[in-house]
Amino acid sequence: MAQSQFAIETISLTKVFPDWWGRPRVVAVDDLNLQIRRNEIYGFLGPNGSGKTTTIKLLLNLLYPTRGAALVLGGGSSDPAISSRIGYLPEESYLYRYLTAYETLDFYGRLFGFPSAVRKGRIETLLDMVGLAGAGNRQVGTFSKGMARRIGLAQALINDPDLLILDEPTSGMDPMGTRQIKDLLVELARRGKTIFLCSHLLADVEDVCDRIGILYGGKMQVEGPVRQLLEQTGKTQIQTPRLSDAAISRIREILRQEQAECEIIHPMDKLEGFFVRTVTKARQEMQPTSGVGAGSGISGFLAGKEIVRQPGILDQLVSVRPAQTTVKTEVDTTAVTTQPAASQSLPHQDLLQMLTTSKTEVPLPLTPTESSSAAAQEEKPVDAVKEDLLQQLLDRRKKTDDTTTPTNHGTRGEKSE
Amino acid sequence: MKKVWAVARNTIAQALRMRIAGVVIILLLILLPMMSMIMIGDGTLLGKLQTFSSYGLSLVGLMLCVLTIAISTFTLSDEIKRQQIFMVVTKPVCRWQILLGKFLGVVILDVFLLLFFASVVYVLTCLIPYMAETSPQERQRAQNEFFTAREGLKTVVDETELRGRAEERYRQLEKDRRLPETMSQTDVLTQLFNEERIREQSIEPAKSRRWDFKGVRPAADPNTMIFVRYKYDASVTPPDGQIYGLWSIGDLQSYEQGTLTTPIYNVPRDAPTRVVQEFAVPANAVTKEGYLGVGFVNSPELNASTVMVQDLEVLYKVGTFTDNYCRTILLLLIRLIFLAALGITLTTWLSFPVAVLVCVSVFAVGTINGFIVESLESLGTGVGMVYQFTIQPLLSLLPRFDGDFSPTKYVVSGRIVRWLFLLRAAGETIGLKALLLMLFGMLVFRSREVAKTAV
Repeated sequence: MAQSQFAIETISLTKVFPDWWGRPRVVAVDDLNLQIRRNEIYGFLGPNGSGKTTTIKLLLNLLYPTRGAALVLGGGSSDPAISSRIGYLPEESYLYRYLTAYETLDFYGRLFGFPSAVRKGRIETLLDMVGLAGAGNRQVGTFSKGMARRIGLAQALINDPDLLILDEPTSGMDPMGTRQIKDLLVELARRGKTIFLCSHLLADVEDVCDRIGILYGGKMQVEGPVRQLLEQTGKTQIQTPRLSDAAISRIREILRQEQAECEIIHPMDKLEGFFVRTVTKARQEMQPTSGVGAGSGISGFLAGKEIVRQPGILDQLVSVRPAQTTVKTEVDTTAVTTQPAASQSLPHQDLLQMLTTSKTEVPLPLTPTESSSAAAQEEKPVDAVKEDLLQQLLDRRKKTDDTTTPTNHGTRGEKSE
Repeated sequence: MKKVWAVARNTIAQALRMRIAGVVIILLLILLPMMSMIMIGDGTLLGKLQTFSSYGLSLVGLMLCVLTIAISTFTLSDEIKRQQIFMVVTKPVCRWQILLGKFLGVVILDVFLLLFFASVVYVLTCLIPYMAETSPQERQRAQNEFFTAREGLKTVVDETELRGRAEERYRQLEKDRRLPETMSQTDVLTQLFNEERIREQSIEPAKSRRWDFKGVRPAADPNTMIFVRYKYDASVTPPDGQIYGLWSIGDLQSYEQGTLTTPIYNVPRDAPTRVVQEFAVPANAVTKEGYLGVGFVNSPELNASTVMVQDLEVLYKVGTFTDNYCRTILLLLIRLIFLAALGITLTTWLSFPVAVLVCVSVFAVGTINGFIVESLESLGTGVGMVYQFTIQPLLSLLPRFDGDFSPTKYVVSGRIVRWLFLLRAAGETIGLKALLLMLFGMLVFRSREVAKTAV
């Protein structure tokens, strides 16, 4: 089949589950038209029972559509030529409890028809990659859910797939694992793979996905690039290192002149980041554990593919991705959130200049809003801090106690080493 | 093929984890040696050998059939139930490859278990003569009648001739106007035919009878024996229940013409009625052309009643016990292979308990298939049409495990399983029935939604 421009395409995909008598009972997927481009990380969201998993099963021919069609990599996934390029992680890892981790991966490797030398090499690197190198000879029946999940992920990657279909990849994983997987997904996308990620852990989706779609009642409710959907264009956020009270008062003074209201807070670190740092520290001190190991970097064989994606494209698509930010040990930044009015009027020339120039690079932190729409309320990361603005702000130190409940923090760029 | 093999290996690993496999293995390992100790049979060495080998093989066959049914119905249905199949069918494996792999896995396991337990029965059987206190005669008899592989030639009753005779008698009766008015023509004919059949077997007092066997080809060894197997019946059972007969074996045709090409052996035999008997004569009674005459004289001094000689058979050694034992095991394997195909096919659309039920039913019908067919046919005329178009084709679709297809029959009477028969059985049961089943299963599985959920 000719190379389709879409990795996944569904045309009026509909699935109706009948009852015992064959009468239509539940419309699980309703006239769904998905178009997922190659080399994209697509987040497929929705509450429980919204039809996410059913859609995946339709894509993989585990279920047959009532109406419409599902094309994967330009064809039907029952075609071995197509399915050999797909990696699939089901919502739960349905493993053979009596096989060891190594045997499990070996079995799936055999299903792809790989010769034993290839299987051996890949299994070893994959086990290493998912942090189970020490547990290769343990039966997977003895694994915790998170460990089983890691094996599930490893089996999905054993064929170096072009398309990864992941159903709740981070469910049951510890935060370290979640972080590793998110990093892995971004890296895989960088290596030219398409990732179809189905999750209701919104933070995970937001961190890695280029585009998301929200499904409800089997229908697509909203779809678009994450940045476009989440950006609050009416707000501006400035983040600086700790400021003196004097400086803060001076900023307040400036903003008052701009007729903008602001709240000044100390941003909270995300618990995820804190957890990752703590465990990383413990690992560096070589404390013993019977659980999963650290896991190495991405498996070598996965790099085999030509790199399609430009290094910077993720950054453009999602948000700012600083090259390498080391883990911060102390958080002493102060976030300044300004209200819309601030960016409209322009008395203070130089500050305004800085605020607007920084806008493209500094995503705006948001305070939580009403909790009705699922994804749109998620916080936005703050990564880069403009040096010169900081300097300027520091120059105008002033004392103030005006700190409110902090909510903001960086996520995306904060890579653990 | 690599992919099929991967599924097969996994199926074996899965089956070995099932407790039932362990239970069957342990049970057989306890029961078989116990049986070899306590089974006596009719008290003779031959009887002990026959009883043990018969029950031992039957037990192994039954246990392995049960195990095969359990594993073959479990392996696929469990993977579907536990949804492990999701991660298999989404790999570049065709659905038929999965089914074939499962089938192969079960069959390979069967082959290993059958080999093992058949060897256990074999070794125990061979040990029995050394364990029991027996006379050399008994040992010799066991050698001749059990530790051997014999070809059997049966007398062929020419049914068309019998029917012809019956029709002739019918016409005679019609001409004489002596036909019973209350009976239909078919009933009269059936009765006449049965009378003719009995008359064919009957030897009145002071009468004799000769049966001719052609194509008797015993081994060239001068020590080879020819065995005559028969069963007496009598029109009136004598008071002591014994029939006294005189047999003569040899080239009777030439003898009656006055020449003597082979020795003629005269064997007096007295035996109870309705019990299968056997005696032996040296093989030089057979002519070079393979002719053997068997004569029977109903001596009027000893018997007062008409004697019927039934199931007359001439047996002679053509192979070794070990070789023949292997062939009977193959016969057993055919059965297991069929059940494996059946179980896996059923679970492509049935759940585990339903599939087990169907499998056990098919197995049960299979073990008495011949009996059902015979009894239905003898009930015959009244159910004719209905039977012919409903039950008969259904029964012929089912496998046959009894009668000629029963492995114990061959081992017990030291009778050879002919290769041709084995091939035919394999072709019919595996090549046709099991293959059709598997193809059907693949078709069903291909169109099945493995993730189907009931609402």
